[in-house]
Amino acid sequence: MQLNDAQSPNALRLRLAAATLGLLGVTTARPAAADDEPRKWTFDNGLLFYKESGGRVQVIEPVVNAAVDLGNDRTLSAGLVLDSLTGATPNGAAPAATPQTFSSPSGRGKTYTTAPGATPLDNTFHDTRFAADLGYRFALTPTGKLGFGLHGSKEYDFTSVGANTQYALDLNQKNSTLNAGLSFEYDQVDPVGHAPIPLTMMVNAIKTGGASKSKNVKDGLIGITQIIDPQSLLQFNYSLSLSNGYETDPYKILSVVDSNAQPQYYVYEKRPDSRTRHAFYAEYKRFVFNRDVADLSYRYFIDSWGVRAHTVDLSYRWNFSNNKYLEPTGRFYTQTAADFYHVALFTGEDSSVHDASADPRLGAFNAVTGGLKYGQVLGNGNELSLRVEYYKQFSKVTDVPVQAATALSQFNLAPDLSAINLSVGYRFNW
Amino acid sequence: MTEPRRIELATLADGGLAGRFGAMASPCEVLVDGADAVELAALTERAAAEVWRVESLWSRYQSGNIVDRINRAQGQPIEVDPETARFLDYAQELYTLSDGLFDVTSGVLRRVWQFDGSDRVPTAQAVADVLPLVGWHRVDWRSPRLQMPAGMQIDFGGIGKEYAVDRALTVLTAHCARPLLVNCGGDLAASAPRSDDRAWLVGIDAAIPEVATPLIRLRRGGVATSGDAHRFLLKDGRRFPHILNPKTGWPVMDAPRVVTVAADSCTEAGALSTLAMLQGAQAQAFLDGLGADAQVIW
Repeated sequence: MQLNDAQSPNALRLRLAAATLGLLGVTTARPAAADDEPRKWTFDNGLLFYKESGGRVQVIEPVVNAAVDLGNDRTLSAGLVLDSLTGATPNGAAPAATPQTFSSPSGRGKTYTTAPGATPLDNTFHDTRFAADLGYRFALTPTGKLGFGLHGSKEYDFTSVGANTQYALDLNQKNSTLNAGLSFEYDQVDPVGHAPIPLTMMVNAIKTGGASKSKNVKDGLIGITQIIDPQSLLQFNYSLSLSNGYETDPYKILSVVDSNAQPQYYVYEKRPDSRTRHAFYAEYKRFVFNRDVADLSYRYFIDSWGVRAHTVDLSYRWNFSNNKYLEPTGRFYTQTAADFYHVALFTGEDSSVHDASADPRLGAFNAVTGGLKYGQVLGNGNELSLRVEYYKQFSKVTDVPVQAATALSQFNLAPDLSAINLSVGYRFNW
Repeated sequence: MTEPRRIELATLADGGLAGRFGAMASPCEVLVDGADAVELAALTERAAAEVWRVESLWSRYQSGNIVDRINRAQGQPIEVDPETARFLDYAQELYTLSDGLFDVTSGVLRRVWQFDGSDRVPTAQAVADVLPLVGWHRVDWRSPRLQMPAGMQIDFGGIGKEYAVDRALTVLTAHCARPLLVNCGGDLAASAPRSDDRAWLVGIDAAIPEVATPLIRLRRGGVATSGDAHRFLLKDGRRFPHILNPKTGWPVMDAPRVVTVAADSCTEAGALSTLAMLQGAQAQAFLDGLGADAQVIW
């Protein structure tokens, strides 16, 4: 040994290691010793809180997602969601000049009353939903990944089970990825107080349309993701959804009014027994300033019920430090009313229409959403995120029965709606 | 440097993706296990930005940076930034540990030694003339102030690239929990094994025609390589490698062709491989004595 005979070799090595650590910084030299175990599990947990204005729907939703890397490009994932919904939801009836009394869906004689001029809200709405999903994804070929999934959800009166498969194929040295997917879902509703016979008068008793109703939904999707250059990518998707069976909401009604807008009686709504949906989606993502990500997407939706919708979404992820980011988002949404949407029916119209619904979700409206997300990668590599979103819906009054239009115009037939959405997420490896 | 500052994505032989950029006269590569092209491109941008930052900070070829100011100080004291101060502390420690063989002031010897494959070995007088300008012991370093005699120069080329690789990896691990690897011309560092606990496989191009490319299996930590490659002089059948002993001003004879070392960090691996080279014929014994994980090619 030529050097430093006074020191033992191990002391020399230790001094070198200590000096290197001093240069690189104690926290940054290498991952902590705990990382000697390979990272296998990734957990994505969140808590979401959603609240509509005016005592309407409120949702608290804890979410747990776990994925385990089984090696060789095989991943098993599972997710659990628990929703707790409370609050009031429009029952479909139009406002009236006099107090309106409705029977609650149970058919056990319970009623609720709405003040004159107010939008009738069913405040008996309370539900808990439990949903779970399971997925398995593996490399079928070096460039192709195949996945299978199962999902199910359960509410007091609603059960849904489904299965899906997806295939992703990398082409052109991974610069292009083709995606295709198929899914099938079976939904069964067991309405409280049984299902009513559509377009018949609301009764305060057990209904006679059957205890259990079902529908099935088949979905298909094809898409391509294309890397344009190292800074940007473009994605296109087309999806088709075919739904058959009981599409009606058993709890929704319509007012049948006279020319003074006075409700004569109420009828249960009726929707077509099939629905075909098409959606076209385009997204452009770009890195800017070698630091941030800008994302612009557009979706066009059209269905066999006459609903057409446009969605434009813009977000900007500002990576303002090495491990923190802020992401403002903005969304604009507009939809037209379904062909069978009516604010209310005019007397006698209930026996001539084939389908009718006054569900505000099938009416015309515009909506804007603004949000801000903050994310931080913690020292241990785990990621914490907080998001706040404000949603404002501007409803448009359409499909008012002409004979009662003047009288109905005194009411706010399509009140605006606002909602706030808070969520917190925590992602960690285990 | 004049390398274009841009990154690109490339497909590897195994179908995986690599982010690439050029820095410090080397091809650099970023591998991220499980990342798609978008995430990889974003991470490569970050890695490149950090390597380029270190390159600009200490490049000998860039006027106005701290190294240039130190080298043109003409005997005046210069106050340095905290990162450069840590680096000078490190250089001083390496100088002490190597009993003066590792010396950041030895760069001026290149005025008389040009390792271009020719037979232009300088005269003993020419070497003796520049030797008074070499020696860390002549430098007054009291962090953050550095003062050295006019005409002396410092050069971080020996260890700066390895440091840049470690820095880039640190920046990436703050952004991404996936296993990562950064490689600049064979000096590399990995944050964790790939998924399924597989090691990273990296070919080290020794750039010597008759030496096969060693394949490194790295799970985490750093690897660095020192070698004479094509940089040597040949006179009267004697090969003069480019590793210079700053105490004599003459090449370290009988040194290995290539030394590759694995350690906790790329910087530590680089220090070990450089120190081993300076031991000449004792390189293997030196590394063995330290229990270093190393490969020596003679």
